[in-house]
Amino acid sequence: MRDSRMAGEKQHRLRFSLRTSLGVVITALICFPIYWLLISSFKTQAEMRLAVPTLWPQSFHWSNYAEAFRIIPYARFFTNTLVMSVGIVILQLNIALMAAFAFAKGRFWGKEVLFFLVLAALIVPDQVTFVPVYVMMSKLHWLDTFWALIVPSGASAYGIFLLRQAFKSLNNDVLEAARVDGAGRFTMLYRILLPMAKPTVVTLGVLTFISSWNSYFWPLIMTNTNNMRVLSVGIAMLRDSIAGDEAMYFHIIMAASVMAIIPIVLVFTVMQKHIVSAMTNSTFK
Amino acid sequence: MMMNSNSQSAPLLKEAAVKAGVSSTTTRKHFGLIEKAKDFMFAVPALIFLAVFLYYPLLNSVYISFTNWNMTKPVKKFVGADNYVKLFKNEDLYQSLKVTLHYTLLDVVLTLTIGLLLALLFNVFRSKMYAVMRGIIFMPHYISMVIAAMVFTWIYNGQYGLLNRVTELMGFEPIQWLTNPSTALPALVAVSVWKGVGFAMMLFISGMRGIPNEYYEAAAIDGASGFSRFRYITLPLLSPMTLFLVITTFISSMQVFQSIDIMTNGGPLQATNAIVYWIYTMAFTEFKTGRASALVMILFVIILVLTIIQWVVSRKQVHYEG
Repeated sequence: MRDSRMAGEKQHRLRFSLRTSLGVVITALICFPIYWLLISSFKTQAEMRLAVPTLWPQSFHWSNYAEAFRIIPYARFFTNTLVMSVGIVILQLNIALMAAFAFAKGRFWGKEVLFFLVLAALIVPDQVTFVPVYVMMSKLHWLDTFWALIVPSGASAYGIFLLRQAFKSLNNDVLEAARVDGAGRFTMLYRILLPMAKPTVVTLGVLTFISSWNSYFWPLIMTNTNNMRVLSVGIAMLRDSIAGDEAMYFHIIMAASVMAIIPIVLVFTVMQKHIVSAMTNSTFK
Repeated sequence: MMMNSNSQSAPLLKEAAVKAGVSSTTTRKHFGLIEKAKDFMFAVPALIFLAVFLYYPLLNSVYISFTNWNMTKPVKKFVGADNYVKLFKNEDLYQSLKVTLHYTLLDVVLTLTIGLLLALLFNVFRSKMYAVMRGIIFMPHYISMVIAAMVFTWIYNGQYGLLNRVTELMGFEPIQWLTNPSTALPALVAVSVWKGVGFAMMLFISGMRGIPNEYYEAAAIDGASGFSRFRYITLPLLSPMTLFLVITTFISSMQVFQSIDIMTNGGPLQATNAIVYWIYTMAFTEFKTGRASALVMILFVIILVLTIIQWVVSRKQVHYEG
């Protein structure tokens, strides 16, 4: 009896370690393109062309990174991307905080209908709005400025929805007490509700940052000079600007790409737990 | 609720009313209106932004789709349904819809199947190692499509790419993955699947963790095998999550654009000219703004129908369970 239980335990453990090994192999496989990106960014042009590819660079050529800075105005693109992403985060968060406050705690005529209009925005794809918005930006002379990159993304239906959920779950007593103390609405929102809903706000900010950092379609349309290009568009241009055999320059494209994903990998690693919980909480609307 | 203040807050109301610049004789009824207006003001910025950058452009797009507008010329003439008629008579529309549907179906089926298998494998509680592995698999979801497309373009490179090095080592002829009409589309799908499986896995795992353990315990007492537990408990109870993933993946795959723009430019021989890429070239390289807007509307209607289907079906499921 005891022997058989021990044998069962052993079998169970064996199966678990097999499962873990399979897991490790699959994780490595999915990770591989990122690994390949990283090591390719350190190879020389000659090493990139070897008949039997090397899985570890023969020597680390940091000069590829310097080259990326030389071929395209990399620092400018990086700054543009950062300014655009931070700008969108600040604008979107503030607009969403205010709207979420109104829809969660306020009372006014037509609230339900208006909230439905906010939610309905979720199903309108970017392609539906880009031509009229492009024309609008062009008439305002905003094309190729940060205005065109940031302002049209000001309201996020997803953000309003997420924050409204968070605010609704908070108790009204604290707000009532603040009101008795003579607190205005901005004080209630920014001094009381915001700290209480901090995890949601931070997660929303991070998700907005990542998606703005990665955006391509919108910045591609809204900008037309090197001065205003963002990284995603700049890296695509880097490839197009190389005449002839693009295979000659992949090591440099890879170096430029590595630098562009570093902020995302850092942010993701730090915030992963929050991202996962926010994501799974918002699936069923 | 906030505004239902009782009599003790009357001095406060008065004070607030004075602050708001309302004369002290204001009746309580009026005051309620002002408070409501103030509440409403907080929703105004969002509503303005949505009106200006979403609802107005949406209506404007509908209008443009009925004009012969060409962005390079100032004339904008109303032409009725002409753009739609011409699109429906155009072979390219059916080619583009076919490509989009082909891409979407491959993407949805592969992403969800692999995502579900990964969820089964990686759904292990209280293991730091498994949590780290899940994190790594999930990460590509947040890597820019442009960069993912660049890495895969390099891997697919006909002459020096890793994939052909491997095919050659295995004794096959090298394949021009991105310029061969029969491999270009699957090559694009692979990038999307790579980016998407971690996301699907995470959602499936969260769905699995929501299934009450009693079901499995009861099944274990009945001596159900691992597979039949999966088949008769996990799979049916995951169906709301599966439906959610099918529809959202379907909608986002229908809008495939970035990878095409980077990797194939719609080619070879229109083999990857999916609908959004076609819209983009029609609007910004051919400048047929009216025609492009009509195509946008066709896409929008398809997406709308899918969303309504999801909404109706998920309502029904909730009803059954309730």
